[in-house]
Amino acid sequence: MKNLFLFLILLASFYKYSLANDPSSTVYAHVNGLVCDFCARALEKTIGKNDAVKSIKVDLSDKIITINFNENKKLENSIIEQLIADAGYSVIEITSEKK
Amino acid sequence: MRKYFYLSFLVALFYSDFVKSRPVSYPGGLTLMLMNNSMKNSLHAHYSPTAKASFGYKFEYWRKNQFSLNLIQMNNLIKRWNKPDSQANFYLKSGLGNAYSDKGRFDSKNGIAGFAGISTDWEDQRYFIQYANRYTYAAEIDKFYTQSLHFGITPYIGDYGDIHTWLMMKIDHTPKFKKNFIFTPHFRFFKDVHLLEVGANLSGKVMFNYIFRY
Repeated sequence: MKNLFLFLILLASFYKYSLANDPSSTVYAHVNGLVCDFCARALEKTIGKNDAVKSIKVDLSDKIITINFNENKKLENSIIEQLIADAGYSVIEITSEKK
Repeated sequence: MRKYFYLSFLVALFYSDFVKSRPVSYPGGLTLMLMNNSMKNSLHAHYSPTAKASFGYKFEYWRKNQFSLNLIQMNNLIKRWNKPDSQANFYLKSGLGNAYSDKGRFDSKNGIAGFAGISTDWEDQRYFIQYANRYTYAAEIDKFYTQSLHFGITPYIGDYGDIHTWLMMKIDHTPKFKKNFIFTPHFRFFKDVHLLEVGANLSGKVMFNYIFRY
């Protein structure tokens, strides 16, 4: 019984770990025109208000936006491109791995 | 008149927590701009329904001729060039409203006022340059053309959230004025949603600009 309990805890921890590192729950958008904090703020606000988005991080140095999605939710690349265009910027590419 | 300006300034500061240096923001963005230089004091609060347009209220007090403008201002982003490491913009700005003066022969004079002009800029993370012009009509009180060149360099490049520091120069040209060129070296500090410019022109008159975006 004790072993079974430990096994279940181990299994649950592993499952949680695998979800947290699920590459499909994060995308990286390489953006044109990203030059200042106001640009970063515009992207945070415009993309961040979408229900599917859990968090967003803007890297001004590499011009990359990291978008983390809520569990079981994701946005099509075309929708991400549209959100970025709505904020006033354009996309170079969207990848599931950071380059 | 001064009381009116100070009251507007205090109102703007009070409401700055609720409003959210570009004349157009992101969809749903609110911006507050307080500008003070050797020629005028101004306040501009605008709302952007899209990333290509904004509208809002503009107050200006021109100190030399002692008149104020209360205007509804429209800003339109005509074209933006987004490049991997830079951005350039071309804007059309216009305003329509009322002019008021309590100076000399214009004592308590009211009339229709408006302005129209363009603004264009280019920037990357190291350099910034902007040219803007406008023609202002203030009823029978005043009519004039102004243009400005604004440029700067940052000694270091920070990431989002860092304090960005710029060394800048603004050159204002108003052909109608006797002293028609004004050179204003200044610092620009930029962090998150706050932008502050502090400097003084070559005659020692202070420039103080603050922009808050929500």
